[in-house]
Amino acid sequence: MNKKFFRNLSVVLSLLALTFIFAGCSKKSSANEVTKITYWHVNAQTQGGATVDQLVKKFNDTHKNIKVTAKYNPNMYQGLMQNLQSAQASGKVPDIVQVGWAYDNYFASNFKYMTPTDAAKKFDGSNKFIDTNFNKRSLSFAKDSTGKLVGLPYSLSTPVLFINKDILAKYNIDENSLQTCEGVKEASQKINQQSGKYGLYIQEPGDTWAQQALMLSHGADIQKNGKATFASKQGIAAYKYYQDMVNSKLALHTPWAQGMDSFVKGDVAMAFTTIAQASHIKKSASFNAAAIVAPHFKGSKTVVPVGGSMLSITAQDEKQQKAAWEFEKFMYSNDSTVTWSKGTGYLPSTKSALKSADFKDYVKQNPMLQPAVDTLDNAIPWTSFPQKGLQAEQAMIDARDKILSGSNVSSTLKSAQEKINAQQK
Amino acid sequence: MLNKNNKILPFVYLLPTAILLTIFMIIPILYTFYLSFFDWNLIAPTKEFVGLKNYIEVFTDPVNQKVILNTLIYIIFLVILNFVIPYFISLIVKFFISKMQGTYKVLFFIPSLFSLVVGAMIFTWILNPVSGPLAYILKAIGLTMPNWSNSGILAITVICLITNWKVFGYNFILLLTGLGSIPKNIIDAARIDGIPKWRLVWNVILPMNRGIAIYVLILTIVQGLQYVFTPINVITTGGPYYGSSNVIYQTYLNAFVLYKTGTSSALAITTFLIFLILLFLEIKFVESRDKDYV
Repeated sequence: MNKKFFRNLSVVLSLLALTFIFAGCSKKSSANEVTKITYWHVNAQTQGGATVDQLVKKFNDTHKNIKVTAKYNPNMYQGLMQNLQSAQASGKVPDIVQVGWAYDNYFASNFKYMTPTDAAKKFDGSNKFIDTNFNKRSLSFAKDSTGKLVGLPYSLSTPVLFINKDILAKYNIDENSLQTCEGVKEASQKINQQSGKYGLYIQEPGDTWAQQALMLSHGADIQKNGKATFASKQGIAAYKYYQDMVNSKLALHTPWAQGMDSFVKGDVAMAFTTIAQASHIKKSASFNAAAIVAPHFKGSKTVVPVGGSMLSITAQDEKQQKAAWEFEKFMYSNDSTVTWSKGTGYLPSTKSALKSADFKDYVKQNPMLQPAVDTLDNAIPWTSFPQKGLQAEQAMIDARDKILSGSNVSSTLKSAQEKINAQQK
Repeated sequence: MLNKNNKILPFVYLLPTAILLTIFMIIPILYTFYLSFFDWNLIAPTKEFVGLKNYIEVFTDPVNQKVILNTLIYIIFLVILNFVIPYFISLIVKFFISKMQGTYKVLFFIPSLFSLVVGAMIFTWILNPVSGPLAYILKAIGLTMPNWSNSGILAITVICLITNWKVFGYNFILLLTGLGSIPKNIIDAARIDGIPKWRLVWNVILPMNRGIAIYVLILTIVQGLQYVFTPINVITTGGPYYGSSNVIYQTYLNAFVLYKTGTSSALAITTFLIFLILLFLEIKFVESRDKDYV
């Protein structure tokens, strides 16, 4: 009897001990449990990738219970979007992704994401983080066509006019005259007549960002209520100006890489391109280069579509979503935002980072950034049509190519507009 | 038992290859064929069945028509640059020049070791119509270089020249090897008969080298059209207004830039059929030649 009792007791005791051990274990693991999340970005080593790695390392070092793995996606936002499609097909999506503005609607209507407003409400209990860091204008960049916030603005850029001060000085051109497109044309004529050089180059990558800025700065609207409206009187006039400049050899019409090469070699006096080119120009130009606010037509003001990207949370699991939100908040701290800005040449997206002494110092050292910062107040969201936006962009690229090869401006723009609107049903 | 094994074993040996081929070639081709009847953006849960609309678009859309025409121009340029000229030069090196054959082989082959992206970027720099070294040289002697990236036909020429830089050496060596494998006694016999050299080439060497030549010709077209993809993507992105695009680039553009998988698949299947016909020709000529010897 006694023996049996002791045996039973020992069993109970050992069971209790085991429970304690397990309890201890589980307690220990919940304190030390590491939530792993992946962050997909598009920054190659030469385009701020090193900064991304540095920030992620800093985050991992200071947040022991979250481990972020950064993954670089080649071929910019388009490449990332392609990888995201295959990830979605295989059911293993990353937790945070960097989405280019052009993919705003496509991303919002085809992928599952957590809107920042929900994340803030769920994990912080209030919208405070979003409201204190972003102004209305910059938040508008990250909304889809239904007005829903898809992500938080991460990197911002605007087009500016880079100028070759040596050429301008040589031909007695006043910098202030370049505030208007008319002034740019006159200066180009002067330069072309006396040196045979081109006056202006407007960037021509696989989008019409810069050309849209030109139309907007003539008072045209690219879209209104989800319908294309760029074939207006002002839009046509802006493109006619551009076509005239190209036809009379005042403006260079060539692919982007070649155009920028010609500018840094001093064969073109002015380059209308993104601020992200500033460090390249600073490094490669052998002349005195500067940047000024992008020109506008007389009687209008400079309006530009914003460039850059946002961060969106694609995590599905609540734990991951929380970790992703935590990581985003870290990335939007002044310190991280300014570091990121220095590493990439983009402008910071938060109010406080733009005003921070650190960033202001940086702009002082790199005065080319100042006009881009000034332009942010006149920036509007990247044109994004609710339906088949990528095909709409292609229609605008096609129109640009046709016009610059000599097609009639008015009919080309009108047919592009009709083509886009036919798809917006 | 042994007999039974002998029947099964070959299939077992083939199995790994068969599985790989099925997964990476046959299933994707069938799936592409399936997709070509739908309107789909690569990710949406629903695919809209549109019947033959995508195929009709391949042949009626003016942009696609332009692209198909460009493809033919590409083929003509590629055949001249990457087949006719290397063939001509390999004939000269083999039968008209006796020295330095090895040197030519090495020299011509070097570029094929470089990546096409590198080649495309170097050529864009050299051929920059305003600020490239060539433009500066031309300027010094009073000529202006045409802005080739704004003209479809000039852009195609430049792109073909870039692929030519890449594949010339490889094709040259293939053709030269083919020429080297022609039995020497036949050539010697012809020489003893006092046949002029050009007749020797025309009536003896070319027919005897037909197999390799057709192989290189097919390779030039099929591989060449894929090779030009890289410079198109790096330099012109198909522009000006699809002036330098070809069916392969257009397939890519539709699928992965515009996410129009239906149109893209229809284009891919059409291209596939064209290549299938070429392959059939290759088999007919090359394999039938082998049968002659059996």
